[in-house]
Amino acid sequence: MATESSEGEEEGKITGGNLVLALDDDLREMGKKAVWSVSSCKTGNGVSSLRDDNLDTYWQSDGAQPHLVNVQFQKKVRLQMVALYVDFKLDESYTPSKISIRAGDGFHNLKEIKTVELVKPAGWIPISLSGNDPRETFVNTFMLQIAVLSNHLNGRDTHVRQIKVYGPRPNPFPHQPFQFTSTEFITYSCVR
Amino acid sequence: MEAILVDSVQNSLRHFMYRNAIFMCERLCAEFPSEVNLQLLAGCYLHNNQAYCAYHVLKGTQMPQSRYLFAISCFQMDLLKEAESALCSANEPGAEVPNGAAGHYLLGLIYRYTDRKRGAIHHFKQALSADPLLWAAYEELCALGSAEEAAAVFGEAAAVCIHKQYLPNGFSPQNSDMSSEDQNLNSARRSMDDVSPRQLKQMLGNNARDVAGSYHGTTASSRGSGQPLNGGSSQLSLYNTPSPVATQLSGAAPPPPCRNLQPNGPNLSTLGADSSPRSTVNSTIQAPRRKFVDEGKLRKISGRLFSDSGLRRSTRLAGEAATNATTIATSVAGNGASNSSKYLGSSKPSSVALRAVSIRKGHSWASENSDEGVRNEVTDDSRFNPTLANCSCPSGDNRTFDQDGASMPVAGPVLTSAKVLTGTAEVLGLLRLFGEAYRLSCMYRCQDALDIYSRLPHRHYNTGWVLSQVGKAYFELVDYMEADQAFNLARRTSPYSLEGMDIYSTVLYHLKEDMKLSYLAQELIATDRLAPQSWCAMGNCYSLQKDHETALKNFQRAVQQDSKFAYAHTLCGHEYVSLEDYENGIRCYQTALRVDARHYNAWYGLGMVYLRQEKFEFSEHHFHMAFEINPCSSVIMSYLGIALHALKRSEEALMMMERAILADRKNPLPMYQKANILMSLEMLDEALEVLEELKEYAPRESSVYALMGKIYKSQNMHAQAMLHFGLALDLKPSATDVATIKAEMEKLHIPDEIEDFL
Repeated sequence: MATESSEGEEEGKITGGNLVLALDDDLREMGKKAVWSVSSCKTGNGVSSLRDDNLDTYWQSDGAQPHLVNVQFQKKVRLQMVALYVDFKLDESYTPSKISIRAGDGFHNLKEIKTVELVKPAGWIPISLSGNDPRETFVNTFMLQIAVLSNHLNGRDTHVRQIKVYGPRPNPFPHQPFQFTSTEFITYSCVR
Repeated sequence: MEAILVDSVQNSLRHFMYRNAIFMCERLCAEFPSEVNLQLLAGCYLHNNQAYCAYHVLKGTQMPQSRYLFAISCFQMDLLKEAESALCSANEPGAEVPNGAAGHYLLGLIYRYTDRKRGAIHHFKQALSADPLLWAAYEELCALGSAEEAAAVFGEAAAVCIHKQYLPNGFSPQNSDMSSEDQNLNSARRSMDDVSPRQLKQMLGNNARDVAGSYHGTTASSRGSGQPLNGGSSQLSLYNTPSPVATQLSGAAPPPPCRNLQPNGPNLSTLGADSSPRSTVNSTIQAPRRKFVDEGKLRKISGRLFSDSGLRRSTRLAGEAATNATTIATSVAGNGASNSSKYLGSSKPSSVALRAVSIRKGHSWASENSDEGVRNEVTDDSRFNPTLANCSCPSGDNRTFDQDGASMPVAGPVLTSAKVLTGTAEVLGLLRLFGEAYRLSCMYRCQDALDIYSRLPHRHYNTGWVLSQVGKAYFELVDYMEADQAFNLARRTSPYSLEGMDIYSTVLYHLKEDMKLSYLAQELIATDRLAPQSWCAMGNCYSLQKDHETALKNFQRAVQQDSKFAYAHTLCGHEYVSLEDYENGIRCYQTALRVDARHYNAWYGLGMVYLRQEKFEFSEHHFHMAFEINPCSSVIMSYLGIALHALKRSEEALMMMERAILADRKNPLPMYQKANILMSLEMLDEALEVLEELKEYAPRESSVYALMGKIYKSQNMHAQAMLHFGLALDLKPSATDVATIKAEMEKLHIPDEIEDFL
């Protein structure tokens, strides 16, 4: 299980999962501004099932591994976290086991930024994209690719029920060097 | 049979049994088709919220009252052009507006919603001078930003106007005042022709009792509008009399009967003798019906303070003063001719009111008519003929009573006139307070407005309306805690009232009280699902939880409920901007401004959008417009400063920040922005000073420390910089800022390490 990792990335084993995705207040979902595509899918279980906010519908791949989910943005965005909903109890051999996340400008220059290994996950799996360096809290990119490298019990195809991509909230008040934290500042900083 | 049907209809209307009223009225119109009956039918439909029915019933009618009802139906169906042409047709530019003050008010609203601000202002002013108790018109003037001071509007002229409605002869010492009130009077001049709805109502009411006789007589000689009936005609003509008279009333100056009397001087005198028998026969039938229908309309249009009491009073007065009027009239006969010209310009309001009162006098008309007939020659303006003719009489009366002041020259109505005086004074005093406070709060001079509200007597202060206005004033002053309290009290006093609750939801949004806000929203929706305020509150609730899409849906529902509710549009705009959909945001803000050009929130919103899009010129312009409307808001001032700074006009920016700091000591933001500007101007020491001061005001704001750290770093004071960056991090800034600050800290380390190595 050699993992290719660029400097600063680590391989991690993640067990379990959360039923409810707990988010920081300063994260917001960025997927709506992106174009989503998959490498292959079975009829009726296409890419729309990944984004329908319905945990009963899932995407089922239908080809050779690795299975890819591509998220392409119109402009460079800062991303901080990817969250996947997978369930071993429901999907067994379809549950992804090794996942690689790549980023880049397009299909030609994707570079892996994170690898995780899941062990019998059940629920939301948050994957942080930050590096160790505080300067690398966010990944600034045009495209993100989530690759399912292998499944549990060596299954060929994979089921993923939902994927969400998160980035930081922009400063609600333009032209400020820093965001405000105290209530006095926030109260006085806008007219509603 | 007709009388019975009419009675039944009116009875049903009185008891709010609209289906019955409509049915009976339709039978009435089928049996006796006449325009008057059509008016009654339209009235029934309007009561039952079926404006479209009224529209079709009244289409093409010409009588002033019909035109007025038609205009109301058009207005409710949003057919503003038709409504306008009904009220003042383009072919007759000089024609009078039906129903006086109410007609002007409706016209004003139409002009306002069709974006003709000056026309709207003109009409509202006329409405007010015709009926000084038409508070709604004053409210609209304040909203348009061009209201005069309340003391002037609800002052002497208004008192005179009201007096005239109640007392046949102007006894109050108006003459001396009138010259001083010339301005008001001159503006009221033209409007005096319009009947104040109240006067109209009262007159109608009185007509029911005693005036009928003269009434009928006058119709014959009426200004030519309506049917020219001659007195002495059969029952049919008598039956018709009230309506034409009524229409006269609506179309003409305050006392239509009076007006009719004017030109009919000679006629009246002949008819006067006959008046009494006729009145008893017909007035009772006709007048109540007209009175009721008009009352209904008038009540709907403007809050009536005196509606019931006035009616009773006027009848009483009419009864009592009947005899007096005669004597008074004759006494001033001599003065009339000489005085009339002098009072032509100034005494119109008083004369008009007097006329109205005199109408009620019924029998007195007979004697007065001759006098008025004489006076007629004095007047030159044919249009204002009746008014002037009346004027001359009242002015004469005023003269004689000048010295008397409050006392009536006639013994009979002394008590009532005193009561009227005190009553008027009280009402006007109250309205002056309310008007001034409302005007100031519309000009956003909120502290002054609050002072005035606090001077109201407790029983008025503790009503929902006042408390929510107080809350609104605190909201504009950015004092959200006080606003919360005031609105809370308002909710407790009148839990059913939705007025101002959208502002309350915004206050709670600012205070981040999500529980209270959601409770408020639920309560409002339960009270009234169809009110825009409820949906605004709901939307604010979702917006507080950062669910901007649902919030947007709720605000759009609010817009659907009432597209003339500017704040709902602005809130939609805010949500679009949070979703980064700037085009739609701009569109929403512009819609809000179309509805209400003085809605400074929308100007501010547009400025913010352009600031984000880096179109600084536009941004500065829009912030400037917002600032002009609301020059007391420190938030707007600080944003204007930011825009100016972005345009590189830094001195102006700094001045604006200074003003913002002075305007509201509790607002820490202008100081922060000032430091920002100073830093970009490389005036680092001054910037640090400001930030040190700011630390006192807002000790737990991480951005202050972060900025200080940055400044120290640029001054190469690394220890201080590290200290402040550390403090900033301790205060838990957002992830972006954490990254930025840590990055800065890393950069600080390197010089230290190099020193270590050396």
